[in-house]
Parts: sequence; C-alpha cells; structure tokens
Amino acid sequence: MTDNCMPSKEPEEFRDPLQNYDPKVYRDPLEQALAEETVAAMQMKPIAKVDQNTPVHAAVETLARLHVSCLLVEQDGRLIGVFSDRDVLERVALEYDQVHNLPISEVMTTNPVYAYESDSAAAALTIMAVSGFRHVPVTNIEQQVIGIISPQRVNEFLRKHIMNQQ
Amino acid sequence: MGLYENIRSEPVSRLAIREPVVVGPEVLVRDAVQCMRQQKLGCAIVVDNDRKPIGLFAESKLTRLLSERPTALEDPILMHLDMAWPTVSLTDPISCVLSALEVANIRFLIVVDNAGRLAGLTGQKGLMEYFAEHFPRQVTVQRIGGHPYPLDREGA
Repeated sequence: MTDNCMPSKEPEEFRDPLQNYDPKVYRDPLEQALAEETVAAMQMKPIAKVDQNTPVHAAVETLARLHVSCLLVEQDGRLIGVFSDRDVLERVALEYDQVHNLPISEVMTTNPVYAYESDSAAAALTIMAVSGFRHVPVTNIEQQVIGIISPQRVNEFLRKHIMNQQ
Repeated sequence: MGLYENIRSEPVSRLAIREPVVVGPEVLVRDAVQCMRQQKLGCAIVVDNDRKPIGLFAESKLTRLLSERPTALEDPILMHLDMAWPTVSLTDPISCVLSALEVANIRFLIVVDNAGRLAGLTGQKGLMEYFAEHFPRQVTVQRIGGHPYPLDREGA
C-alpha cells in the first residue's frame, strides 16, 4: 500500500448533516398521535381465536357467545384468515344447511391485511378507511397474532386524542 | 380550524352517507339478507309508510339468530328488529356520530332529515374516511402489508 492511499490528515470533526433540521410540526395533536404512536397504543385485546378446523356452526356460536364480530383463524400459531359477521352474511347465512359442518377454513376470508405492532397508529386507520377492511389483526415480528384492532377501538383512540384538545 | 373544532361545527351531511337497504316489515329475514348481500351492506332498515325508521336489522343479529335458531331466517324481519336504534339528523354536528357510535357500541347510524324521515346511513366507515381525509399526510402514505424490515441485506 502506498502512502498516498492513506488519509493525509485527520478527518474534520464529524458534523451531523441533519442537525439543522427542525423537528416535525403537526397541525393537530391527533395528527401527532397518528404519526408517533404505534398500533400497540390502541386497545388490541381481548382477541378471539379459532383453529382452521373449527366447524362453521361452532365458529358462528363463538361469535354470538363472545359478542364479537370477528374471529382470528390460526394454523400452527400463524394467522391464516379471519371469520367475521360479514363472512356469515356473504357465505354462510343462506347456505347454512350445506356449510354448517364444514371447517371454518372453507368460508373464512383468507390473506387478511394486518399491521405490525410497531406500525404507526395511522396504519390501522389506513387499512380501515382506505383499504376498507373492518378488522385489523396485529402481529409481532414473528408473525404471531397478538391483537386485533376493531373500528370501535380506533374510535376510542381518536376520541381520546380529540378530547385532549379541550 | 383543527379537527376538534371541525367535528363540532361540520354537519353529519359532510360525512359519506350511504343509500341503505330498505325493506318492509313483512319481508322475511332470508330475503332481507339477500338484499344486504347484493348491496354489500351489513344492515337493513325497516321504515313505515311515511319513510320513518321503525328499526334496524344488523349482521350481528343475523349471527345470533343462526347460532340460536337457524330456521329464524324464515321469520318476518319485524320479529328480529332492533327498534331503539340510534339516529342522527343531517344537521347534527359530526361529534354526535362519534359519541353515538361509542356509547352504543354499534357500527351503523340511521341518518334522518328534519322531518324524521330516513335520509341514509352512516357509521364507523364514514367517520374513518372523514378522519383519513383530514390527515392525508399521515394516512395516505402508509405501507400496507409487507414486512416491517428488509429480509435480505441490501447491497454487496
């Protein structure tokens, strides 16, 4: 290695190129909460889970008994689908005699859109308002389900931050 | 104005108001469900001759009926209506929608005009869209799906 490959002098003192950046300014406290708080800041529990082999009639009974409108369907601890009141309406109600003993995996909604616990709170709002999904499963980094965000829970989050502006 | 002021000053008519599924009281639950499917709506509203709401049949009620007595699909819908369903007026402030949804823990709200006649349907979806529209810099830039961090190293 020749000498001219070596730095000729000590590097200048490190200067952070972002040091002059102003902190982000939000025009509304709710906007700040949506951007800076995570999905985990919303109420995510309790959750209701069933196995993919659960019969349709048992899943319907579970929805009614627990007074919830969405069940998370798992296979080996991983989320594979959701079964909600909307699935009952669209795929079960009028065909109940034919489908009530089938496994839930036959009538559930597959490949649900979900959020990671580290996503911003705005992500849950996006999935509901823009993508049109009513329930947002929340997973950890290992893709294990750790919660579910319902519209009521988002409302609660929004209302809490709106009321803080009083 | 901030959102706090907006939801107190802007009327319900500012929200997305959907055309509801409207059926008569004698209609069978099965037929109402068929209409709900066709219009991709989670509820049906029964009105009187003056188009004033009598009650609402929601998909959550359908789930309960199936779990208790599947043959209830052949009953007239009037037997299974929720009669005391909350309503809001087109001129009420949007904050009324937020409160009503939270207090009653429901998804839909019946919207009526000044004479109390059915004007449409709103609810959590309409409210979410309103909030999303208010904060486009946060909501429209979100990544949906995918992985929260790169699975492979970038570069060499």
